[in-house]
Amino acid sequence: MNKTTKIVLAGEGGQGVQSVAEIIAEAANEEGKQALYIPNFGVEQRGGVSVAYVQISDGDIGAPKFQTGDIVVALSDRAVRRTVNYAGPGTTFVYESGIEGIESELPQKAGRILPIPAIDVAKNEFHPRVFNIIIMGAVIGATGVIPLERAKAAVEKKLGYKFEKQPKLRDLNFKAMERGVELVAEA
Amino acid sequence: MSKKIVEQEKRAFMTGNEVVAWAALAAKADIMYGYPITPQNEIMHYWTRMAPKYEKSFLQTEDELSAGFTTIGGVMAGRKAFTATAGPGNTLMQEPMSMAEMMRLPTVVVVQQRGGPSTATVIYSQQEVTMTSIGGNGEGMRIVYSTSSHQELYDYTIKAFNTAWKYRFPTFVLGDGYQAKMRESLTLYDPEARGIELIPPEAYVGKEGVPGKDRPPAHFRNTYNMEEELYELVMDALQDYEKISPDVAEYHSAGIEDAELVIVGHGIVYRAIKAAVEAMREKGLRVGYFRPVTLRPLPVPQIKELMASNKQILLMESSYGQLARLFKDVAYGSSTKINTFFKPGMGITAEEVEAAAREILK
Repeated sequence: MNKTTKIVLAGEGGQGVQSVAEIIAEAANEEGKQALYIPNFGVEQRGGVSVAYVQISDGDIGAPKFQTGDIVVALSDRAVRRTVNYAGPGTTFVYESGIEGIESELPQKAGRILPIPAIDVAKNEFHPRVFNIIIMGAVIGATGVIPLERAKAAVEKKLGYKFEKQPKLRDLNFKAMERGVELVAEA
Repeated sequence: MSKKIVEQEKRAFMTGNEVVAWAALAAKADIMYGYPITPQNEIMHYWTRMAPKYEKSFLQTEDELSAGFTTIGGVMAGRKAFTATAGPGNTLMQEPMSMAEMMRLPTVVVVQQRGGPSTATVIYSQQEVTMTSIGGNGEGMRIVYSTSSHQELYDYTIKAFNTAWKYRFPTFVLGDGYQAKMRESLTLYDPEARGIELIPPEAYVGKEGVPGKDRPPAHFRNTYNMEEELYELVMDALQDYEKISPDVAEYHSAGIEDAELVIVGHGIVYRAIKAAVEAMREKGLRVGYFRPVTLRPLPVPQIKELMASNKQILLMESSYGQLARLFKDVAYGSSTKINTFFKPGMGITAEEVEAAAREILK
């Protein structure tokens, strides 16, 4: 059977987890793979933790939601608590290392736990607004499920109209994505 | 002649609601009537965005009763008309769809099930099975396709128009909030380029000529004075319905022959079942699945055959026994054990299917 890569992304509203999930899934589709992205979209969306589920496969994809992710990314303290149960022995659990006092609540059973300083890196090396692009790079780095170039093309498709006006932004976004890949490699 | 929506087959990645709008255009639907309710709103958003380019129309009504009745009006005027709804909107839709049943009108309704009862959640369920299949004050003379993927949403929305206009029974595409909101890959195509003939609509009223002279008068009733009159009409319609049922019913199954346990489910739950069955087969477990695509009419001979084969059944659904009631009615008389797994208003994962199956096989 074909292996399906399962990704959970969780964060606060405005951290961009839904856009990241959608762009990754779209890039996978462009790559010729089967891709499925589903947001949580209940009333909780307004003021709650935002969760996105992405699956990428060479074959058919099963149910839109699942119990255990291959990659789980949590970007806030509440997001960590919300996603602990998606971690199993085969899970790489990526979390924002700037979250204070969360260590005791990290999933004990996760295969790998990778803290990444995405907020700091965004603020100090780039611009706070590319935080989610760094996260996207981290997911791509951690899964290897789509080539970086394909992800860049998907971002170009989404933000191309902005890049036309400000070509600097393209470079900023692409560098941020590369940095995200590095962060998981270093962690 | 308006231009084609899909010139060449193309891969797409979009939400299920968007898929429905594309499919309705590909099926050459003329007009959508609608009233907003989550999670199906974007069907009309996409329809209204695309339809004018193809000389198609849209009417927003004041509620779902009106959306259903205007859909009926569109059909009687000879237009391929459809509407879409969910949850409490589907409840209101039952009244006009009963009328469509009575008058044998080829209405098409797309339902994206949300949690119930009442307002409940805007998210997901399989709790509109009973209502969509046998709702209204009638005999459930409807055709209901329960889809499980974006490709099926596209295929069966196109097919629903043909089925409706061919057999003249109200036809439903039963999706759910997950299918409505998720994005996944599918192939868009022009049905005619694939050799699918699109049945043209035909006016019920306002035809050429003088009624009674050039043509029979158009007389469509939903009111009758005499028991006998109604009885005869309903029995005729039921006979038609039963006659077409074998041609209309659809199902998917795999691994049944040597299975000890057959897992039954429909719609998006079938995806979890299929994934779990494939995973368990790889581990050597003798499991199979049976999935009705049409919930009305059900694939009766195949269900009877399944129930005659001395295997265990595990029936799973995101409601508290709505598919089970329809299924058990067909299965009546069989001593095969039906285990059930009900999760009203919640999704079912492949992991849960496997765990439930292993519990039985233990």
